[in-house]
Amino acid sequence: MRIITHTCSACGTVVAANELEDNRVMKCPGLGCQEVLRFDDLSEDAREHFLDHRDRYQI
Amino acid sequence: MKGVLLSGGTGSRLRPITHTGPKQLVPVANRPVLEYAIEDLKEAGITEIGVILGNKGRNEIQELLGDGSDYGVEITYIVQGNPLGLAHAAGCARDFVGNDDFVMYLGDNILKSGVTELVESFQAGDYGAGIALQEVDDPQAFGIADVDDAGNVTQLIEKPDDPPTNLALIGMYVFSPTIFDAIDNLEPSWRGELEITDAIQDLFEDGYEIDSHVVTGWWKDTGKPEDILEANRLVLEDKKLKTAGVVEDGATTDGRIELAESAVIEDGAVVRGPVSIAENTTLMSGTYVGPYTSVGADSTLENIHIENSVIIGDSEITANGRIVDSLLGRGANVGSADELLPEGRRLVVGENSQLKL
Repeated sequence: MRIITHTCSACGTVVAANELEDNRVMKCPGLGCQEVLRFDDLSEDAREHFLDHRDRYQI
Repeated sequence: MKGVLLSGGTGSRLRPITHTGPKQLVPVANRPVLEYAIEDLKEAGITEIGVILGNKGRNEIQELLGDGSDYGVEITYIVQGNPLGLAHAAGCARDFVGNDDFVMYLGDNILKSGVTELVESFQAGDYGAGIALQEVDDPQAFGIADVDDAGNVTQLIEKPDDPPTNLALIGMYVFSPTIFDAIDNLEPSWRGELEITDAIQDLFEDGYEIDSHVVTGWWKDTGKPEDILEANRLVLEDKKLKTAGVVEDGATTDGRIELAESAVIEDGAVVRGPVSIAENTTLMSGTYVGPYTSVGADSTLENIHIENSVIIGDSEITANGRIVDSLLGRGANVGSADELLPEGRRLVVGENSQLKL
């Protein structure tokens, strides 16, 4: 299973795609970091793959 | 070599303690369990650590560990979110790990002997992975490894009816970066998770040798209240304990006692080690603190007899009775009902609490 992540450019915190997709737009979960992260920050290929297999990233 | 420290999970077996925080921060001998893992990784020469965060306690864990500089390590946080399995957690760390080997350490586990020997054993060969094993009495209840004479794993079996060995996987692994290719090829298991044992099995079937290291000292998964008490006992048994606080004239002390500088054992209190008493805690007259007890910071004990227990902290325990084998959450208070009518115990108990009266 392809595991997709995004790294916050401000603080280096790595966030899994399932977390980004859950929130779509979110404050970076790095403590004190004010960066806004978006599901759209992922590449188009990564977004498409995630959405095509969305059920696998749920529990 | 890097470290990946798993700190997710719901902590459901430790409720109500984990209603207000992650299980990895429950203290053992007055230190959060997670700190022992950081210490073990550092001792093995690993100073770049990725901490995997789940949905619970993210901020508390980041507040405790910070950037790692207080521990002499460098920490990167990796938010897994949904608990999609150990292999998913490892996969989330791919960019952090890069082309290095890495140790994967379950953050609610605690080991007497650390991970240095596991790492050295892995580095002595050309392995795809290394796994820590321990002999258990009930192998049917564990993931079991079969190994050859050289210590190489030949088979992994989950909870076998007819176990070939009694060597259980204890949740400590070393991986080469090839594990990420195996994870890419995984499908979720029947429970919807990516299983790390499936990834290791794939490595094995692809021809990689899998090293094993049998851990001889104690190991505890601190997932349940009784495990916390057992881990507390084991750590207090082994730990060097320093008495820095005040022991007043008229107090009776015996055995090894860790007493923080700002803690006080007052006249008329009795303490029998091994015990750990944290900062700003006072044991007043009439208190008995017996072996294998840890009392957290900012607590006051009076008249109570307590042993083999963990008080997390911020507590006032003033009942005239005996408490044994107990785990008290932060801010839990136990007072006396002796003067109250009608006679009887008064309880304000949270969801999932367990009491034996």
